Amino acid sequence: MELTTLLQQLINGLSIGSVYAIFALGYTLIFSILGIINFAHGAVFTMGAYFTYALIGSRFGFNGIFANAQLPFGLPFPLALIAGGVLAGLVGVLIERTTFRPLRRRGADPLLTLVSSLGMAVALVNLIQYFVGAEAYSYPSSVLAGLPPSINFGTPEKPLIVRTVQIVIAIISLIILVGLTLFINKTKTGRALRAVSEDGTTASLLGINTDRLIVLTFFISGFVGGIAGTLVGLSVTITGPYFGIAFGLKGLAVIVLGGMGNIPGAVLGGLVIGIAENLLPASAVAYKDAIAFAILFIVLLVRPQGILGRAQITKV
Amino acid sequence: MDQFITTYGFLIIMMMLQAVLALSLYLPLMAGQLSLATPGFFAIGGYVAAVLSTQKFLPAPGTTFPEPLQSFVTWLATVFPLTPTGQGFPIGLVLVEMVIGGLLCGLVAILIGLPALRLRGIYLALATIAFVEVLRVVSLNLPITGGAIGIFGIPQPFPTDATKFSYIVIALPFLLLCMAYVYRLERSRVGRAFIALREDELAATAMGINPTYHKVLAFAMGAVMAGMAGAMTAHVLNTWNARQGTFDASILILAYVIIGGSRTFLGPVVGALLLTALPEVLRQVAGIDGLPDFLAAFLRDGRLVIYGFLIAFGVLSFPQGLLTPELLKRKKKASAPLPPTGGG
Repeated sequence: MELTTLLQQLINGLSIGSVYAIFALGYTLIFSILGIINFAHGAVFTMGAYFTYALIGSRFGFNGIFANAQLPFGLPFPLALIAGGVLAGLVGVLIERTTFRPLRRRGADPLLTLVSSLGMAVALVNLIQYFVGAEAYSYPSSVLAGLPPSINFGTPEKPLIVRTVQIVIAIISLIILVGLTLFINKTKTGRALRAVSEDGTTASLLGINTDRLIVLTFFISGFVGGIAGTLVGLSVTITGPYFGIAFGLKGLAVIVLGGMGNIPGAVLGGLVIGIAENLLPASAVAYKDAIAFAILFIVLLVRPQGILGRAQITKV
Repeated sequence: MDQFITTYGFLIIMMMLQAVLALSLYLPLMAGQLSLATPGFFAIGGYVAAVLSTQKFLPAPGTTFPEPLQSFVTWLATVFPLTPTGQGFPIGLVLVEMVIGGLLCGLVAILIGLPALRLRGIYLALATIAFVEVLRVVSLNLPITGGAIGIFGIPQPFPTDATKFSYIVIALPFLLLCMAYVYRLERSRVGRAFIALREDELAATAMGINPTYHKVLAFAMGAVMAGMAGAMTAHVLNTWNARQGTFDASILILAYVIIGGSRTFLGPVVGALLLTALPEVLRQVAGIDGLPDFLAAFLRDGRLVIYGFLIAFGVLSFPQGLLTPELLKRKKKASAPLPPTGGG
């Protein structure tokens, strides 16, 4: 591989890897607090992408209940991105209220919560299909108005062309990562979150409102998931209601690789998988989708606690 | 009756095959292992049947099989008089494919199971999801599995039966055998060891139960069932591709077991039969006259939405599943002529 090609693939990998990272953070936050994987996270990701699509004033296709529907206004893309994230966050809160909280109150087996959140994912994804059909949607290229489609960082003889979309994605992801890290480490609420993730019972004895923090966690998780959905939709397309499910599975590989419930681990895992997928030689590119899962399988066998995770000691 | 079979024959066959898949997920769960690998083994079994029947077992029209195989087929035809050797693909060979598919899956299960079953709970579930996904991508790319198109034109034992209901001669005995097997297993030493591992692995180990051996055994038994079901499904569907073994299928099969009840073998079977029939039932309900249009439309097109909500909230209403051992026992007690003596 030539050096410029290598660099180009590296940048592609970093860009998609940073989206993996923020998406996986949604899983990690919930796992660190509840010790449960929210399998509906992939569906929230999809919803974020569709919300943003609707908010920028685009028209839906001719299938579904909302055939040819279009909002009477169109928000500028950055606003729509944030609003889409907020709506996705609210969906996350709704999921917590309807499936996680009743089961938690009952002290149910985590397996039941897993199945329940899977059921929610199936329902949400098919609701999208029921409302707006199964076709693929692309954001109009005008959302990045004023920016050139790609920038050449190399010389005319040795081009190193990077799509502007990828730079935008990397920057937005970076902002979210930094913001979230600051929030968790520097604010009072963030400290409370860490206390709950360390030991929920003790935290509630110390006067921390655990239920409110759990709702907040689901909101943040849904928010970053929704933003990730929009960013992936921007980079490729929204391939249909199911596109979040496949992405959701990859997110699982990311959090296992980094260490479940470990925030820097999720970031590291996202970048590693993003880069690994893009450094694949051209002859093996058909296997790109298997990379994340091959890594997941191997990590689970060799180092189940992940790169940055702590090994759990089984207490008797 | 004919009308009924024409409409629902295919659905009934599918319900039975899904019930076997539910049992295949129930087996590792009996030993406390949440494995979502069933669709992977189902896919392997299907590919075995598809490849064997389209490339190895199929003689050119008007000719016979190459020699050792032909006498074997003739012999099978005497053992299974149903085999319509002249017109369709021999049933005996379908059974042979099921056995080969099942054995291969069992072997694969032992190979993956030995390292993977050290993992617990959600980690094992994730590892098995990874197995299913890797398998899916690999089968999309290998020439022998037909790539993205898959394998089609899988020979039919009942070429004249468009409803596929004739498959009942294999599907029903197959399901009943699997059920009988798990029923007996639950009451055998090995089955009790599985259950002991599920309830308390540490205590079970202290009692001299080898956890690795029993977990891998449960996993492999489930894999054999899934592989056999896959081999048969390939014939029923007439075509096989990478979409057969996906994560969606894992969820669905898990839902059968959880909703049906995960502590008695009847639970998964009932769950699978009900949930597989559900979309069809909803379609029928939507056809009732006098329903408001929007409701009928929702029942028809939003079936999967209802399905998802049923799984999500069914878990809330029936945390133990529809069928529990206690429920079954109470029934038995009620019908018993004498009250059970104490201590039992």
